[in-house]
Amino acid sequence: MSSEVIRVENLSKVYSTREGDFHALDKLSFAIEEGGFVSIVGPSGCGKSTLLQLLTGLLEPTSGQVLIDGIEVRKPLPEKTGVMFQDATLLPWLTAEENVAFPLSLCGTDKKESQRRARDLLKLVGLGDFINHRPAELSGGMRQRVAIARGLVRDPRILLMDEPFAALDEQTRFKMGEELLWIWQETRKTILFITHGLTEAIYLSDTVLVMGTKPGRIIEVIPVDLPRPRTFEMISSEFFGKARNRIWKLIQEEAEA
Amino acid sequence: MRLSVLLGAQTGFFLLLAIVWESISRLELADPRLLPSFLTVLGVLGDLLTQRDFLMDLGITGLEVGVAFIIAAPLGVSIGFLLGEKLFLGQILSPMFHFMLSVPQSIFLPIFMLLLGIGFLEKVVFGVTHAIFVIIVTTTAAVRTVPRDYVTVARTFGATPRQIYLRVYLPAMLPVVMTGLRLGMIFNIIGVLLAEMDASRAGIGRRLFSWGEGFQLDLLLAGILLVSALTIIINEVMRYCEHRAARGHVA
Amino acid sequence: MSKPSLIRYAILLALIALWFLVTAMEWVKPIQLPPPAGLWAAWQADGSRFLDAFALTAAEIAVAILIAWPLGIGVGAVFGSLRAVSAVASAILGSLFAVPAIILYPLFIAWVGMGPESKVLFGVIAGFFPIALNTLSGVRQVDESYVTMARAMGASRLQVFYRVVLRLALPSVISGLRIGTALIMISVVVSEMLASFGGLGYMIAYHRTMFDTGHVYLGILMALLTVLTVNWLLSMLESHFSKWQERGADL
Ligand SMILES: Nc1ncnc2c1ncn2[C@@H]1O[C@H](COP(=O)(O)OP(=O)(O)OP(=O)(O)O)[C@@H](O)[C@H]1O
Ligand SMILES: [Mg+2]
Repeated sequence: MSSEVIRVENLSKVYSTREGDFHALDKLSFAIEEGGFVSIVGPSGCGKSTLLQLLTGLLEPTSGQVLIDGIEVRKPLPEKTGVMFQDATLLPWLTAEENVAFPLSLCGTDKKESQRRARDLLKLVGLGDFINHRPAELSGGMRQRVAIARGLVRDPRILLMDEPFAALDEQTRFKMGEELLWIWQETRKTILFITHGLTEAIYLSDTVLVMGTKPGRIIEVIPVDLPRPRTFEMISSEFFGKARNRIWKLIQEEAEA
Repeated sequence: MRLSVLLGAQTGFFLLLAIVWESISRLELADPRLLPSFLTVLGVLGDLLTQRDFLMDLGITGLEVGVAFIIAAPLGVSIGFLLGEKLFLGQILSPMFHFMLSVPQSIFLPIFMLLLGIGFLEKVVFGVTHAIFVIIVTTTAAVRTVPRDYVTVARTFGATPRQIYLRVYLPAMLPVVMTGLRLGMIFNIIGVLLAEMDASRAGIGRRLFSWGEGFQLDLLLAGILLVSALTIIINEVMRYCEHRAARGHVA
Repeated sequence: MSKPSLIRYAILLALIALWFLVTAMEWVKPIQLPPPAGLWAAWQADGSRFLDAFALTAAEIAVAILIAWPLGIGVGAVFGSLRAVSAVASAILGSLFAVPAIILYPLFIAWVGMGPESKVLFGVIAGFFPIALNTLSGVRQVDESYVTMARAMGASRLQVFYRVVLRLALPSVISGLRIGTALIMISVVVSEMLASFGGLGYMIAYHRTMFDTGHVYLGILMALLTVLTVNWLLSMLESHFSKWQERGADL
């Protein structure tokens, strides 16, 4: 018995559009071990977000299936998967604390308990002093931290992230990566992380899945054999450079094809 | 293309409404004295449109609405433009016009009747006061939406003030001003019709009111149909112009 | 206080002073514009009748609001969230809004009589469209990504709608309520002016035909104050609920 928490089997998604059927994903298969940190990179439009929506249960596959903890996903399972997108989509009239507690309020958790959890998580993401701030009073990076806390509030085992730091400036982005690694180590979640940043992908992950386009599929699985904790110096190591060049070349070829 | 889809759907909706109305009468679901059938009403409308005195009344209303608009539009746009440009004056007066816009003009009708008597002048002035505030306020808003950068860029290219007005301000403001004019027109029509309904001797509004009092529902509905159709057409045509003026504008 | 608003108060005072002056010097006939004391005299003579009339008008307005608000919000919310038809629904509601509701009033009198029912019905029709239109466009403009996020967090359809979509559309809904409610109030008063046996509008119209000018102006003043008060309350509500929106603008 392996400790796979995510299993994707022959997953295909066809969008029917006015111009005809569009094969966004074609027979994807992969699995992610419990506690793993896996990144997905690939050219724009290769179906990364589609894949994430299928994993969340927001979309239905055309064929194949997604299994979480061995159970087929048919609708969102917020108690098993927390989600985060490029846009923090915090509700603007709620405070940071209320935003984090929002998923709990949807399933009728006791108010005191929700509050306590939301505060703990805001402390975890370093926003202990901002619990009563509204989104408009927070910086972009802080908003993404609130979104991370919200993604964790129902204590899911999996965190699915679609380009969560893409809208941030480079320095903030790097810092958020560090923070995410720390949270990952603290909470032992399984993370699937979609990004366009190759350095980010390699730096954060155990494994990088490289996707090809038209139709969307996985073209290579690249294990990242770098020790943890990761350090800034590793980025200039030989292994790191080689891995990055390899992924870069794969994506270039795909984009030209 | 999208526009034609919308237009088609709107036409479809009104056709559906007509069919429902006709079916209600055919199925005898309503007292025909209270709701004559659609086709009956359409026939009555056809007759009305050949009657000289009815056309005269229609013409009077049209004239009142037209004159009121011809006064209100240039006046409102000029005042609005001045308020948007001359900043201090604008700061003093703009909130007052905003306030006037939020005050429903209709309530002042009896005052207009006392001050001006009942007749053409009173109705036109009443139409003007209904229309003008919305035109002023939107024009002022339009001036303020012209990006300062446009003017700066035009200046650096050595544009004269005249050129700046004609080539920069006017096109940039046009779509919003057109919206103001359209709303002004709608309010204007409301004002004139209301004035006609309340103690007047002529005009379509008077007709509608006396048909209602006399329980002549076929005539009343024919009149309602006609006025509705005319106002919808005016509104749609002006909206189309707005659309055209907005083309090439980025949000 | 800022300089422009000081000047505005000065203008207001000047107008009131002008009123005193003009009537004291009898530059206008008292039958057209009464001196301020004329209003006071009217209040002393008929104050309790004015209060009774006000009570009736207020009751009609309240009933019309109780019907028009939920109806407008409901229709707007439903059609706003049906992505496939919301553009068409908005176009249809928009063109119906252009039809002056006042032309339907004679029909309502014929259908339900001159009592409060026709006033309420007219008020509801007048207020419905802006409420529905604003709700519709507010709901339509809600960013799809909020919906996606809420669904991913396990919100049911109903929860997505109530806790996210409607709440995001709220500023727009409330501004619709503000416009719609002003229209309801004014329509009720105007309909009383046109044909009825009670209410503030009736008092105004009746005394106009009697040339009791003090009574006319007193009635108008009371109606105006009512509209302004309710308007003010609703704009407080509006700014309360759109506070986060303004601050959110500077991402
Ligand atoms: N609802 C839809 N209907 C039709 N086609 C769609 C739909 N959603 C996505 N697509 C298409 O499917 C393809 C994959 O889209 P997806 O958003 O998953 O790509 P992505 O890899 O996330 O791209 P990016 O890196 O730019 O975010 C794209 O070509 C897109 O145009
Ligand atoms: Mg994407």
